[in-house]
Amino acid sequence: MFGLSPPVIRAIMRKELAAYLGNPTGYVFLTLFIATTAAAAFLQEGFFARNLADLAVLNQIMPPILMLFVPAITMNVWADERRSGTEELLLTLPVRDAEVVLGKYLGALGVYTVALGFSLAHLGVLIFLGAPDVGLMFATYLGYWLMGGLFVAVGVWGSMFSANATVGFILGGLGCSALVFAGAEPWASGLIGIALISGVAVLAVYAAKKETEGLATTAVVGVLVATVLWVGGIWPDFEGTFALVGVQQHFAGFGQGMIRFGDVLYFVGGTAFVLYLCGFLLGRRHW
Amino acid sequence: MVRLIAFAEAPASNTRKLIMSSNHESTRPVTIRADGISKIYGDFVALHDVSFTVRQGTIAAFLGPNGAGKSTTMKILTGYLAPTAGRAQMLGLDPGDEDQRRTLAKKLGYLPENGPLYPDMTPNELFEFVGEVRQLSSLAAAVERVVSQCALESVLHKPVRKLSRGFRQRVGMAVALLHDPEVLILDEPTSGLDPLQIREVRGLIRKLGESKTILLSTHILQEVEAVADEVVLISEGRIAFSGTLADLKKERTIEERFYELAAQKPAKRKEVA
Repeated sequence: MFGLSPPVIRAIMRKELAAYLGNPTGYVFLTLFIATTAAAAFLQEGFFARNLADLAVLNQIMPPILMLFVPAITMNVWADERRSGTEELLLTLPVRDAEVVLGKYLGALGVYTVALGFSLAHLGVLIFLGAPDVGLMFATYLGYWLMGGLFVAVGVWGSMFSANATVGFILGGLGCSALVFAGAEPWASGLIGIALISGVAVLAVYAAKKETEGLATTAVVGVLVATVLWVGGIWPDFEGTFALVGVQQHFAGFGQGMIRFGDVLYFVGGTAFVLYLCGFLLGRRHW
Repeated sequence: MVRLIAFAEAPASNTRKLIMSSNHESTRPVTIRADGISKIYGDFVALHDVSFTVRQGTIAAFLGPNGAGKSTTMKILTGYLAPTAGRAQMLGLDPGDEDQRRTLAKKLGYLPENGPLYPDMTPNELFEFVGEVRQLSSLAAAVERVVSQCALESVLHKPVRKLSRGFRQRVGMAVALLHDPEVLILDEPTSGLDPLQIREVRGLIRKLGESKTILLSTHILQEVEAVADEVVLISEGRIAFSGTLADLKKERTIEERFYELAAQKPAKRKEVA
């Protein structure tokens, strides 16, 4: 599979899962996640007022919930390795950078999947109260999983910048919140646009030259150009274009029982792109 | 950048000539080769034109004061870091190339500085993890061998965080030996050990040296005399001496030579070399 070794990825994934689920903090997280989503789903006036056995109320608040909870899963993914020095041990084993990134990502995704699995208890409540539509529930949970998968990738990316877990949490949270607010607030869409244009410029220059010389300058030029395009009105509907990056509108279809190819592609492609960025950052040690 | 080009284009230094002359009699193949390696962090030159070779079946001590650049050199040799200029080679493989580094890692055992280990894992779990990543076919036999070599029977099921410094170092050593590597790179393997443990580890290194090529870093002169066949002395990121232990202490004691070479300014050191 692309020259990657599944046993290596599996070993790293299992190590990550064991590190999280072998720790009381992991269970505190799981409990808090279930309690928070249950409160968001059922303890709001709207749920009973609508008189429908679905999770529409939770759907509205799920992106902000994940924006806070997912970085709590991922904040230690790299910080622990950096703090304890085990990153050196891991990266001098016969592994590829991509295998390490994928293994760590899948480990964190596994924890999120377990948390989401426990939250299936909410369906029991819906079945007790009424007759939820199976297709709608399937699509809704698929949407939760895909959105969480993207946020896990963003959280892993955020944790790569520091040996400090708090910094990892903040950066992961900022990245996820950018995706949550893009599309909801025009200014957030504009800022996302600036960050993306600058980031893509940096990656394009690196891919062309295969050296890091001048990347900081490229990033600054990218930010300036994007700002001029946005504020100067040269790019019509700049905010509208980058509003498409936001998760809310792509998740909305799942919440209504529709699994659209474009939305699936957005989550899967976005996750792949962020994981590519993680691999790029892991290569920093060679710069 | 200007300095980087200057390093890259610099002619072979006198130091390198010395290395070649000190090794020319040996017919054994070169296992570890550092060729003009420089490493620069911003304005700080951690390594400058570091060149040396270690031949097959040799125990080489990488000697130098703290902060001399020993660990940085070892990180470059293992492929964890890339040099700013120059080239590393081990067993004919380039650790800077991901495919070759992966092949090399299968033949290389590495004990990083301070023996970093996953604190929540037990040594047994650690061996399982490393064995799985290394895809060892006979893991149980390998674990049995390293547990016996490093005397870990009593702590196999205790979390690493509860182990003494000495045991942690031995677990790190066992991890490095798990796949029975051809080459061992040990970054201060006796750091933090008590005198008894130091004697045991040195004995183990000597025994391993009968069949493997070993490069071990240290700043302890007695350690060099106790285990090494050859010595590479580094100071302030530059190679000050490379040759046999006998050459190093030909005219004076090893302590006198160490203080003399380590204290020299780079320009003067080149003259000596």
